[in-house]
Amino acid sequence: MSALASCPSCGASLSFRPGTMVAVCPYCKALAARRDRDPELIGKVADLVDTGSPLGLGATGHYTGRAFTLAGRVQLKHPLGGVWDEWYLALDDGRWGWLAEAQGRFYLTFTQTPHGTLPAADSLQAGGLADLGPDGLWTVGELSEATFHSAEGEIPWAVEPGGTYRFADLSGRNGAFATLDYSEDPPLFFLGREIALAELGIQGGTRKPPKVGAQSLNCPKCGGTLALHAPDQTQRVGCPNCGSLLSAEGGKLAFLKSLKQPRQDVVIPLGAEGSLKGEKVICIGQMRRSCTIDETAYPWNEYLLLDSQHGFRWLVQSEGHWSLAVAVAPGEVPQVRDGQKNLWSQGHNWRRFQDVEAVVEGVWGEFYWAVEQGERVEVSEFVAPPRSLTRERQKHKGGGEEVNWSLSTYLEPEDVWSTFKLEGAPPPPVGTASFQPNPHKVALAKSALWLVGALGLLLVLVMVESMTHRNTELFHRRLDLIEMAHLQPSAAEATRKGISLRRPTPARPAAMPRSPSDPAAAEAQEPVFFSDPIEIKDGHQNLAVTLIAPVNNNWISLDGALVSETTGVAELFLVESSWYHGVDGGESWSEGAQSETVFLSAVPPGSYVLRLAPQWEGTVPPVDTIDVQLRQGVMRWLYPGLALLAILLVPLLMVFRMAAFESRRWQESMYAPNAGASGGDD
Amino acid sequence: MRILYMLFLAGGFGLTVANGFLGREFFGQRRRADLPPSVRQTPGAYRTFLHNNGFHGGK
Repeated sequence: MSALASCPSCGASLSFRPGTMVAVCPYCKALAARRDRDPELIGKVADLVDTGSPLGLGATGHYTGRAFTLAGRVQLKHPLGGVWDEWYLALDDGRWGWLAEAQGRFYLTFTQTPHGTLPAADSLQAGGLADLGPDGLWTVGELSEATFHSAEGEIPWAVEPGGTYRFADLSGRNGAFATLDYSEDPPLFFLGREIALAELGIQGGTRKPPKVGAQSLNCPKCGGTLALHAPDQTQRVGCPNCGSLLSAEGGKLAFLKSLKQPRQDVVIPLGAEGSLKGEKVICIGQMRRSCTIDETAYPWNEYLLLDSQHGFRWLVQSEGHWSLAVAVAPGEVPQVRDGQKNLWSQGHNWRRFQDVEAVVEGVWGEFYWAVEQGERVEVSEFVAPPRSLTRERQKHKGGGEEVNWSLSTYLEPEDVWSTFKLEGAPPPPVGTASFQPNPHKVALAKSALWLVGALGLLLVLVMVESMTHRNTELFHRRLDLIEMAHLQPSAAEATRKGISLRRPTPARPAAMPRSPSDPAAAEAQEPVFFSDPIEIKDGHQNLAVTLIAPVNNNWISLDGALVSETTGVAELFLVESSWYHGVDGGESWSEGAQSETVFLSAVPPGSYVLRLAPQWEGTVPPVDTIDVQLRQGVMRWLYPGLALLAILLVPLLMVFRMAAFESRRWQESMYAPNAGASGGDD
Repeated sequence: MRILYMLFLAGGFGLTVANGFLGREFFGQRRRADLPPSVRQTPGAYRTFLHNNGFHGGK
C-alpha cells in the first residue's frame, strides 16, 4: 500500500510505496527524499532525455509469477557520453527489481546479500575476473562511474542530483548479469540476467510513441541535411558533407569540432538498406580504423548497421574481405590471459591471431557512443574460420574501462553486394583474411563422402577377391639343369670352382647355342622343357609363374610360353632369378632376389603346355636345379594398392592445398605456429 | 577437381576389377602370340619364333 505525501516544493500529491527512498514530483520535478515525517526536498531534476525506450512509467507486467509495476526510472550518464535508463519494478511481494536498458538490451537484477566479501573496486580490471566467493567467478565487463542525470516516479535508492556512482558490471555464462554498486560501503550486490521484454509481459505505461523512420536534421556547421535513423540512441554524428563531428544528445545536433577526415573510400552508402542473414538492416554509420604493425598502417572500414530490433551490428571490410560482427556478452567468453594462444568458447577452439591497437581515423554518420577521432582500443583477435572472436578493451577518459567482445562471421563479398544492391562487382579480396574459410577444407569435406564410399567399395572388392582367389597350383617342377644341359655333374662342379677341364662332351653335338644369331639351330639343342598338358578350368583368374633358383652372384632366366593345345595361342613370358651381393667400402650390399614371379592374364579354359627354356651365362648353369611353379588365382595387391592411391591422391592434394592456405593465413599472424610466439594447434 | 577425382577413381577401380574378376594383368614383361601350326610342330621353330617376337633371354 503506497503512502501519500505532499511535494515539498509544490504541494502536489506524491506516492511512497514500501521501499521508495526518493520520489520525483511529476509537476515541478522536485526530488523528494523520504523522511520520518514529511518528504525532504533534495533538489530538482533535469528533463529526461528521450532515449526512445519502449517502456513507460506505470506499465505493468509479471515476472516469475509475480506482478509488478514500473514505478520509477533514473537516467544515468555514461563517462563516454550518452545516458541509459534504469527502471524500477515494484513487485507485488514488496521486492524491487532493477531493469537496466542499454542499446536495446535489458538486464533485470535484484539486490542480493553477498555470501562472501565483495572485491574492492580497485582490485578489478575490465576483462578480468571478479571472484565473489560462493557467488561465483564473473567477468568484469565494465568498470566505470555513472552520473545521475534525471529521474521520474519512485526510486528505491537514495539518488542525489549530480551524484556519481562507481560501479562494476559483471557478466556470466548464459546471460547472467550482476552489478557491484560501489556508491555505498560495503558495496551493493545486484544479481540477475539479460532478459527479453517479451518475458516480462509488459503492458501499458506512459511511454512516448516511438519515432518511426529517419529524422532529418541539419548540420549546424554546414547546413547539410543529415538523416538520423536512430536518433534516440545516437550520441555522435560525423557529417559526411563537411567532416564536422557533432553531438546528438537530446535529439539535437551541436557542433563539436571539425575533423580532418581521411579519404572516404567506403562502398556502402549511408542509408543503404538490405536484408542480411535474414535481418533487415540499414547502414547508419561508417568508420575507418587502422592498426600499425612494424610501422606499416593497415586500415579497414566498418559499417554500423541498425537492425529492425534497434540493435546494432557491424559490417567490416578489410582488403576486399567482409565480415558481420555482433556483440557477445563478456561473461560468455572465458577469461583470457596475456599471450594465451588458445581459447575454448562458444563450442569452438579459437586460436589467437593478433593483438593490435586500433585507432579511429574517420567517422561518417551516426554512432551510439561518443566516438572520437583518434580513439584507441586494444584489440585481441581469436580465429576459428569462418568466425573470429574479438576482444576490444577501452580505457575511459578520467578512469574506468570496459571490455567488449564481438563475434564476426566471414561474408562472401557477393553477398554484401547483393544485400545492398551495390553496382558493379566487388573487388577481389587481397591475400588471406585471418578467419577466411579455407576453400580447400570445404572441398575436402565435400569429397569426404566419396572418399569413404570408395574406401568401403575397395574393402568389399578386396574381401571378395581374397575369398575367390585360391592360389591354385597348376604346375610345380624342379628342373635339373645339369641333365637338361647334358653335362656331367662333376664337370659342372669343377667348372664352377674354376678347375680347368676339358670341355664336356655333350650327348648331342652341341649343348649350347652355337650362335645367338642362329636361333633356329640353337632351338634344336638348347635345354628346353615341355610340361605335360595342364588343364586350366577358370578363364577369369590370373596366372603366376614363379622361378626359384638359389643363384649366388649370378643369374638365370627362363624363357617361357604357355601354349594352348587347342588354339595355339601362346602366353610368352620371361622370368629371371638374379642375386648379387658383396662388400664395398666396408659395407655389405646385395641386389636382386633368388626368386621372381611373373603374372599372366587369364587364359581361356583348356589344355595347355608349358614350355620352359632356361638361360644362363657360360657353358655351365650357375645352379644344378631350379624350381618352376605355375599358379592360378593369385591375389594381386598391386591393383588394390593403385586403387587406394587413386582414392587418396586427390584428397591428399586437397590436404596439401589446404595446408598451403593455412600457411598463408598464419604468415600474417603474430602467433604463427612456427614463429617465436608459437600458437598451439586446434 | 571433381572430374579429376572421378577419373582417378574410375582408373583405380577399373584396374582392380579387371584384375580381380577378369584376370587381366597390365604390368610385366609378357606377350601373347599365335603360334602357327608349323612352329608348334617343328622343335627348333619355337626359339626362332620367340626370338623374332622379342624374347631373347639372358642378361
